[in-house]
Amino acid sequence: MIVRNFLLIMVATLCFSILFNIKGKNIFFAALGGGITWIFYSCSLSTFNVDIYSIFIASIAAGIYSEIMARVLKSPVTVFIICSIIPLVPGVAMYNTMLETVQGNVTTSVNLGIHTLAIAGTIAIGIFVITSSFRLSALINKKINLKKSL
Amino acid sequence: MDINRIIHIAANAGRIILENGGETYRAEETINRICSSYDLIDSESFVTPSIIIVSASSNFGQTISIIKRINYRTINLEKIAQINNLSRNIKGLGYSLEAIETQLAKIDSIKPYSLKYMVIASAVAAGCFTIVLGGDLKDMIVSALAGGMMKLILYYLYSLKANEFFVNIFGGFTATLISLICINLNLATNLDKVIIGSLTLLVPGLAITNAIRDTIAGDLISGIMRAVEAFLIAIAVAVGSGIVFKLWFSIFGGLNI
Repeated sequence: MIVRNFLLIMVATLCFSILFNIKGKNIFFAALGGGITWIFYSCSLSTFNVDIYSIFIASIAAGIYSEIMARVLKSPVTVFIICSIIPLVPGVAMYNTMLETVQGNVTTSVNLGIHTLAIAGTIAIGIFVITSSFRLSALINKKINLKKSL
Repeated sequence: MDINRIIHIAANAGRIILENGGETYRAEETINRICSSYDLIDSESFVTPSIIIVSASSNFGQTISIIKRINYRTINLEKIAQINNLSRNIKGLGYSLEAIETQLAKIDSIKPYSLKYMVIASAVAAGCFTIVLGGDLKDMIVSALAGGMMKLILYYLYSLKANEFFVNIFGGFTATLISLICINLNLATNLDKVIIGSLTLLVPGLAITNAIRDTIAGDLISGIMRAVEAFLIAIAVAVGSGIVFKLWFSIFGGLNI
């Protein structure tokens, strides 16, 4: 089941990278990022059973993968990170919010809306943490090199 | 040293980055990198998602500035990757100004994938998401149909340079309408899976990512602008899809006719 979903998500992310006009070997690595994020998401979801935690873990995995790949393949981080977070975006929560709003169930729709915002915020925080720490380590490296050259 | 020309090249590179979905700080960094690789040390740039301002002074105290307005934005990450490589290699490979100009023109003329590939990619992506969410084979086919049709319509709306929110409202509208009709013709079973699968194509992934990365880099204005853009796109998709549901409920009195 997980292997099938992994392959399907990889195909879907591959198609997304075509929609974003990525070319060459970056397509494959962007798609792999989507698959890896999905694996982290579904494994932690079956362990913790709380979707916000799982999304946080998965977005951290997506961030680390993208930052490493950007350095290895000498491409902008955006190329990989956009495709990696595609499996996490709160499509289901958004749809349910919309449906409840249309049917006039205000309380449920507000609950679901806050949940949707929480998911989006969690993805943001996960990437935020990783990008900031990679920037910090780059700055520290620069300082060490500067001291060595003196 | 021709400051005029250097500044034009730098602003042009920044324009290509912004127009194709790059981050604001990347545009600023590229402009400053190009200026400093031609020994134009006294240069400053200020970039937001809709404007580029670059200013530089020559050794004789003469100051030149240039403003570029960005009106139209698409997504073409390949161009950003190539400009990024180009600007990092100017000093190492010793490019002349002419060489840079021809390289920039070459990068700017990179064609996006053709409509045929875009439609096929949208259809396959929508179908795959539907299966992952728990749909069956029939759902996948309907979702692929809705995704492909939606992309076709969006492509023509974008080529008319329609407003982005209007385009997204229309996208949500099309996908939901096709799904509802197919469900009622008994071509598919799970309505929610079909609709979510095809609507995932409209999710503002690029705007969310750029909002985060601009905020981290300290460009708070750009970060807020992109976050609002992402929020409005999401609302637009929900509104487009909600209109269909509301109309459907009020005409037929329920999901099924």
